[in-house]
Amino acid sequence: MDNDVRALRAAAGLSQRELAEALSVSRQTVNSIETGRYDPSLPLAIAIARHFARPVEEIFHVG
Amino acid sequence: MSADRPSAKQIATFLLVFGGTLAVVLTLGLLLREHGPGNMGNGLLAGAAFGLVLAAVMGWRLVRRPERVTTFERAWSQTGDERDDAVLTRALAVLGLASFPLTAAAAIAVAFGAAVEMCLALLLFAEVGVGALAFAVIARRS
Repeated sequence: MDNDVRALRAAAGLSQRELAEALSVSRQTVNSIETGRYDPSLPLAIAIARHFARPVEEIFHVG
Repeated sequence: MSADRPSAKQIATFLLVFGGTLAVVLTLGLLLREHGPGNMGNGLLAGAAFGLVLAAVMGWRLVRRPERVTTFERAWSQTGDERDDAVLTRALAVLGLASFPLTAAAAIAVAFGAAVEMCLALLLFAEVGVGALAFAVIARRS
């Protein structure tokens, strides 16, 4: 699954560590999500969407 | 989560498990040293001491340097996030699957007359190796 987390994080001026702290996950998890190596659970995906004030389907999309 | 310091409850749980394990291992090791065959007791005590020192180092790093700990340390100390748990679960699943053929191979080797102690030792090392390799590969890929 593709996502726009990296672009949204960069636009918000956040580092991976800052976003990780905001989401209560590790920096490695943020990095893995951004690179598409890890698909987050639904609660984490919703937390990411809420953080960036976007719908989940706008951030995460197939293909 | 991982960047946070462990909570008081997590530290207390870690110390409880660490102390309980130390007590059980010491009791078992001393009993085996007195009543077990060969130097089994000394071997168990040496192996357990090695493992407990590693666990203590891991606990120290979790408290003192939470931002530097690895996926392995977070997963095994249950202080990680969902990805850490997923990596550990998948690595243990691989180890579980691999343990069947490894155990079968050890049993067949024993049936053909191989030394039982050697087969058990090789089985243990093989399982530890498979588990470590699986964890490293899965952590890198996820």
